Amino acid sequence: MKSWHYHCSLDLLLTVIRISTIKTAFAYWDKRIAPVFDTARHVHVVTDESRQIVEETLETLPESPLVQKALKLVELGVQTLVCGAISKPLHGVVTAYGIRVVSYISGELCDVVKAWIDGNLDQDAFAMPGCRGRQAGGPGEFMREKRGAKAEMPEEPKNETAR
Amino acid sequence: MSSRKKRKTPEHAPTRAILESISDGVFTVDADWRVTSFNRAAEEITGVSREEAIGRRCSDVFRSSMCGDACALQETLKTGKPIIGKSGYIVNKEGVRTPISVSTAVLRDSDGRVIGGAETFRDLSEIEALRQELEGKYQIGDLTSRSPLMQRLFEVLPAIAASPSTVLILGETGTGKELMARTIHSLSLRSRGPFVAVNCGALPDTLLESELFGYKSGAFTGARKDKPGRFALAGGGTILLDEIGEVSPALQVRLLRVLQERTYEPLGGTRSETADIRVVVATNRDLTELVRKGRFREDLYYRVNVVRMELPPLRRRKEDIPLLANQFIARFNRLQQKSVRGISGKALAILMAHDWPGNIRELENAIERAFILCGDGYIDISHLPEELTARNAGTHPSADIRSTHDLIDAQAIRTALEQNDYNRTGAARALGIHKTTLFRRIRKLGISLPARDGRTRPQK
Repeated sequence: MKSWHYHCSLDLLLTVIRISTIKTAFAYWDKRIAPVFDTARHVHVVTDESRQIVEETLETLPESPLVQKALKLVELGVQTLVCGAISKPLHGVVTAYGIRVVSYISGELCDVVKAWIDGNLDQDAFAMPGCRGRQAGGPGEFMREKRGAKAEMPEEPKNETAR
Repeated sequence: MSSRKKRKTPEHAPTRAILESISDGVFTVDADWRVTSFNRAAEEITGVSREEAIGRRCSDVFRSSMCGDACALQETLKTGKPIIGKSGYIVNKEGVRTPISVSTAVLRDSDGRVIGGAETFRDLSEIEALRQELEGKYQIGDLTSRSPLMQRLFEVLPAIAASPSTVLILGETGTGKELMARTIHSLSLRSRGPFVAVNCGALPDTLLESELFGYKSGAFTGARKDKPGRFALAGGGTILLDEIGEVSPALQVRLLRVLQERTYEPLGGTRSETADIRVVVATNRDLTELVRKGRFREDLYYRVNVVRMELPPLRRRKEDIPLLANQFIARFNRLQQKSVRGISGKALAILMAHDWPGNIRELENAIERAFILCGDGYIDISHLPEELTARNAGTHPSADIRSTHDLIDAQAIRTALEQNDYNRTGAARALGIHKTTLFRRIRKLGISLPARDGRTRPQK
């Protein structure tokens, strides 16, 4: 009986650990989030476990056809893509492969990565101009994991903060 | 105008008025690539308001395909030379691409120092639409042609599509009769309805009857439940009766009734059904000839020959070969995830010289086969099917009858060898020559043989 409990909790623990490992790709150019994913050539892939970064790599994306870009992300095993502007067809292709897209993000790469890890990416400060309050995938778009909620963000006062 | 803007770039009222009145977007950036001015047209084209643009990184506001390594303004500031009319596109917050053309200029202060840049951009959507309309002159639906023969058909197509009349499409096999029928359907008021094609030559008469009219349960052994016929399935849409010349006289009578009265009875049924369909009929036979021979009813002929479209064979519209070939290449590239770039001039010449008895279908088949051999780059003579190149070798000026014979000989020998698994005895027998004659011919024609010789049986 005791060993059964032990195995059970070990399995549960391992499952929880597996779920907390997250791989995210950030499209970047010149130390900032790349403005248009359709033409972006580089992604910064961050693997984190329970909000601790365990690995960071720089990867190159093929230029064309666009499908190859999406396939490269699949190959890299990323669950989420954080990028700037993305055309609807490309968005469709990437999400069709099961990768979540957090789009129209702007800012310095390191700031965006930190905000993502901390679960603070849905601030207006990181939204591209003209895209404030835009949530493509619904309210859950900025959630890091599919299960387990992040802390509820208080309503940000509309400010003119420029980065 | 925000106060920030007033501080950074003093603009005179006339300049401001001009910038606000033009239809091209204009924005300026400072040395840190932050937007310092953003005119009305820029707001409209990008969908970003001036308030949200000022002070932000220009790439985050503009979101163009050039932002990054291909930035026109960056190049201008580096070289000092303006760029005029560089094309690209911008992506708005809905993910929609807008084609644009940009021009750049360097901003200097009174001492000649670079203090920033200015970028002007033009929305090219309208020009794109016009260009596509121009190209559309050569294209209706999926039909493409530059041939005057086809252009005449294109001109009348919309009118034909709009009318409810029966259409008769004539043309050799592989000339696109079904495609033409589908185009008529898609341009008609019935385009939202179904399009049903029936190949009347593919089914024996009895089956064709039940296919077209359907049957009620119990109509014959095996008819366990009602089955709607093609006429019923095409209700509200268009039906194509292909190879109408193959239909038996008995069935012709029933078809005549459908066309005349728009009613029919399913097999084993007593009640008449209404046929709410637009009928298109196609054939590669000469119907008048068949009528004369008594194989086709004259009254049915006059019922179907209301509107007549004759599709020319490919050999009479050879100017379309490059166009069609490129279309097929694009399609196979998409389907096979390849990147063949086109056809070489020499290969195209061969295509143009061929007569294409199988018309467009044969051309499509040839391109598909060339794809197997051609990785990427250009389709060359070596990739084309042998039937095309062998025939053409004979037209070489220095060729004589002997070398043409040799070519045919070589081909026959190769085929015989393949079919007999490279067993020399079998091949010789197939060709009706002695084995030693075969060896001599192989040596003389320089036919290369694979390492295995078909003598040893493969171990199972």
